[in-house]
Amino acid sequence: MALDMHRRDFLKTGLFGCALLATGSSLALLSGCSSNDGPAEGYLHLRQKDVDLLLPLTGVVLAQALKKSAASADTALKAYDKVLDGAMPGTRATLFQLFDLMQLGAARWFITGTWAHFNEQDSKTLTHTLQGWFTLDRTLSRMAWKGLVQPLMFAWFAQPQAGLTTGYPGPPQRVIS
Amino acid sequence: MQDLSTLKVQSKDPWKDPKANGWEVIDGRQELSDRTLEADVVIIGSGAGGGVSAEILSQKGFKVILVEAARLKSSDEFNLNEAEAYHDLYQEGGMRATKDGTMSIMQGRAVGGTTVVNWTSSFRTPPQTLDFWRDEFGVQGMDENTMAPWFAQIEQRLKVMKWVAHNRNNQIMLEACQSLGWQSDAIPRNVSGCWNLGYCGMGCPTNAKQSMLVTTIPAALDAGATLLHSAQADTLIIEGEKITGVRIKTLDDNKIATGATLTLKAPTVIVSGGSIQSPALLLRSNVPDPHERVGKRTFTHPTSFAFGIFDKEIAPYYGAPQSIYCDEFSHRDGIAGQAGYKMEMMALHPGMVGAFVAGFGQQAWDEILQLPNMGGSIAMIRDGFHEQSQGGAVELRDNGEPVLDYPINDYVLEGTRRAHLSMVEMFFASGAKKVRPSHSQADYYNNWQEAQLKLAALDYVPVATGIGCAHVMGGLAMGADDSRCVVNSDGSYKYLDGLYVMDGSVFPTSVGANPQLSIYGVSARNASLLADRLKG
Repeated sequence: MALDMHRRDFLKTGLFGCALLATGSSLALLSGCSSNDGPAEGYLHLRQKDVDLLLPLTGVVLAQALKKSAASADTALKAYDKVLDGAMPGTRATLFQLFDLMQLGAARWFITGTWAHFNEQDSKTLTHTLQGWFTLDRTLSRMAWKGLVQPLMFAWFAQPQAGLTTGYPGPPQRVIS
Repeated sequence: MQDLSTLKVQSKDPWKDPKANGWEVIDGRQELSDRTLEADVVIIGSGAGGGVSAEILSQKGFKVILVEAARLKSSDEFNLNEAEAYHDLYQEGGMRATKDGTMSIMQGRAVGGTTVVNWTSSFRTPPQTLDFWRDEFGVQGMDENTMAPWFAQIEQRLKVMKWVAHNRNNQIMLEACQSLGWQSDAIPRNVSGCWNLGYCGMGCPTNAKQSMLVTTIPAALDAGATLLHSAQADTLIIEGEKITGVRIKTLDDNKIATGATLTLKAPTVIVSGGSIQSPALLLRSNVPDPHERVGKRTFTHPTSFAFGIFDKEIAPYYGAPQSIYCDEFSHRDGIAGQAGYKMEMMALHPGMVGAFVAGFGQQAWDEILQLPNMGGSIAMIRDGFHEQSQGGAVELRDNGEPVLDYPINDYVLEGTRRAHLSMVEMFFASGAKKVRPSHSQADYYNNWQEAQLKLAALDYVPVATGIGCAHVMGGLAMGADDSRCVVNSDGSYKYLDGLYVMDGSVFPTSVGANPQLSIYGVSARNASLLADRLKG
């Protein structure tokens, strides 16, 4: 999802949000949070820092679905990673800027309403965090939700076995002649 | 309970052995060194505009090279796997969105373009739209009567007929419109021998859908055209005031350039990449554009959604996705008044529902388990007719990738509020027990009275208001008004000889209906005019 800011968003997001985006990536670089050290093991694009950031969220967002499929959050995050693989490099880059930003406590507070890193929150706290984030009306918060949670849900349920857990009987069988 | 999972689907893939058909197909993935090819006409993009143009021009005896960025994928590979289908057959694997992330864009990327994944709805361009194009932009020779034979020709070619076997999701709209006294009718579809499976959006596994992949492109190859796939048009070659060819970058399986550049030389180049890709190619090529209009006035039919839960099974994943439409609100305030919207239904498969459900965790899980009893509807706003609806602009990122900047403004949001009301009323009129509009603040409503009260309290702002797009149009507007249009009514680019645009980007506004038949008809007309002109 493209997350570039323009004047309209500046007006809606306010000074703090805009300053965060303008300086966030460089701050993240300075603090060592933004690294270009390639994808994490087993992933196509997500870096280890992204995995550390997103894995705890994934487990809560898809808790019941993963339990039903006896699957791990790692499997679901890899499905999300595969969805990102379809995007253009520039689209992925803007999303990764957002993930870099969310490594910073101040940015995490602004976007999701919590200072603590997601992997330092237990599942009950994370549920509370997600609930707060979902109801935040800040443009940047809604965009982050759309860039992360929405494609994550798609990525999980679009998989054939996961799709069957919804009551969907499945597609017809292809017979190749 | 409806269950098609044991049904065995078999069909003959016309692309199984292209060589045996005598077809010349070049796979860009295997092109590892530079070379030059020559043709009479090069067509960039193999969707609705490119496919129709390729068939007409090659059958008139011109040597055509048809270029497509996507890898060739055909029915033997259409395995009805939702994750694979979106990854392989949609722009950006379904991840495309407008610049500020507010609007998801569903646009095909395939040999055959979006026609491979669309839901087959085939409407003639509304006469009100054609009149508006003539009156406001100086579009010539495209009124209802002069276009009728072109539409009729395509309807016959692609076997367009009104559908009769409506699935339960579409029956919701039919029954509600009858009960509320709203206009509705059956949707004409471009199918032949359709199995009524419901997987149009994942590539038709039976080849019943008369997409470009199984109609005009095979016919063009039969007539001597060459298909070059996995090959992306990088820049146009311009010499003086003339176009002389196109530089192509071949792509590997991961859509990454192989390093080879193919130079396609031709005195005539047709750009048919679809809105977003076509304007981007012209921008990358620095074409003359004195009024800076390339990429401007790009439209999306901003589309909102509603979901109804019923006591009975709906099975929205099976059956023709769209077969009933409602035009009650399309022109209620005239052609250029408050936003008008066309209502249709939508197919719902698990991944798609996952993307649409509200919230996360238990709440989302509870909702998604309702899928078998869920109905889904859409409302598409006609954008581009009102002075407050000027559309978006295609821009280039630093690396040359296109991105559409389309700010959601109050005009769209006000129309979306009314569209939500109409869809919610429709669901309750057909017996839904609860209904939810696509808005992040909205929960399910239990009756129409409650819905009206709570909808009135929703804050209609961008992002929170769920709006998507499956029809990108405009960006290279046609017409006589040079201050707003860059293409003449015959598809020729105003400022370069030999360059033509034949796809939905020439539309000076949105269509106000699913656009494929509009693109076919206008492209058939202009490709035929071009063939006559080239024959001299």
